[in-house]
Amino acid sequence: MIHGLLLPVGLLLLVVLQITLPGLFLPGGIGIPFSLIVVIYAGFHLGVLRGGLLSFLLGFFLDCLTGAIFGLHTFFYVLIFLLARTFSERVYGEKPALIALYSGFCALLEGLLIVVLYRLVFGIDILYEIPRTFVPQSLLVVLLSPFCFALLDRLGVFQHAENSKPARPI
Amino acid sequence: MLIPRKYQSIAASAVLLVTSLAILSYGAVRLSETGFLRKVILETAAPVQDAIHLSLLGLENLWKRYLFLVGLEDENRRLLRQNAELAQQINRFREESLEAARLRKILDLKRDFPQGAVAARVIDRNRSSLFKTLLINKGTANGLQTGLPVLSEQGGVGRIIETSWHASRVLLLIDETSNIDGMIQRSRAQGILQGAGRRGFNLKYISRTEEVRTGDVVISSGLSGVFPKGIVLGTVTAVSDSDGGLFRKIEVLPAVDFEKLEEVLALQKELRSKP
Repeated sequence: MIHGLLLPVGLLLLVVLQITLPGLFLPGGIGIPFSLIVVIYAGFHLGVLRGGLLSFLLGFFLDCLTGAIFGLHTFFYVLIFLLARTFSERVYGEKPALIALYSGFCALLEGLLIVVLYRLVFGIDILYEIPRTFVPQSLLVVLLSPFCFALLDRLGVFQHAENSKPARPI
Repeated sequence: MLIPRKYQSIAASAVLLVTSLAILSYGAVRLSETGFLRKVILETAAPVQDAIHLSLLGLENLWKRYLFLVGLEDENRRLLRQNAELAQQINRFREESLEAARLRKILDLKRDFPQGAVAARVIDRNRSSLFKTLLINKGTANGLQTGLPVLSEQGGVGRIIETSWHASRVLLLIDETSNIDGMIQRSRAQGILQGAGRRGFNLKYISRTEEVRTGDVVISSGLSGVFPKGIVLGTVTAVSDSDGGLFRKIEVLPAVDFEKLEEVLALQKELRSKP
């Protein structure tokens, strides 16, 4: 019960830290998408309902606090969670290299989806953001995701949820 | 359960996807609306963001000012500490003096819009390069609402896109989704000033027959009803006819240094338009 109440607060704090911290340390407005890494982690370790709601909340908080188009991250995070979950059912997702590559791919995919959405919905071309923002961001995710996965495992953030891969009731 | 167990995952996935897609569709159509939940989250997070922002700035200053002292001789350390304290004191006085100067400018600007302007402090800026926004420490409790223009003493800053009771988010003019009416001050040629991210603005729809020079000042035309007429927006940095179309391609450097904004002024609705 307490875990269920504290988790949204923790997620909100994570998003606040994500948008407040990196600009001070990284040049060019490149952020470290910790929330995306958590979504991918959830895809590997949680059931559809629990992980989906977690991804939904993270995306929702990010939408609220970044001033992004409302629903942008909410939708993409749910989509990435479902992709990660589908992927994790087909591979053994505990190898750091695989985690890193797949997380990097998801970060890049999110960037590409944003570019496509801007083009289709608003008619605005932000292709130049791919090399300037999304590629460096994906590389950061590649570097950090194995450590974040290990940290999340160690912290036991989702200890009350499903612990490992095999059974995944919703 | 109504749904067989083996289909529950698929059903939950579908519900989540459809719900989030519906929110995205709603958000894309109604860009300027701030929902209640969003207000609550913004209101909850704003003080935390402010606290983290201030703490990190303090840490950063501490790092820059004092780290080099480590490892020096005792005498040097004492002298340097004394020096640092004096420097900090001077810096504090200088900072207060600069703040007073900035506030004086804001107040001077406020007098141009009697009873219709709210001075606010920037409490955070969005650090991602994709969404160019600022968070200010005034909200609906101070009379702010979405759509209101925001200025600094240098010129136009942006417009409020969402508000909570004690915080508001400002979409900067350099955001790619920002479009306002602009005008070349010298020739009075009117166009649309579109945000272009870190490149500043593009002034669009200025006919090739209009004479535009590098260095021309761009001001708000007052037509769209967002900004009053005559607010300085930027300076023309490049003019090109290379694409062969009907219009010139004009690049504009913003008048405002968005990275260094600390105080801003939000104009209230009833007194927004000057005669």
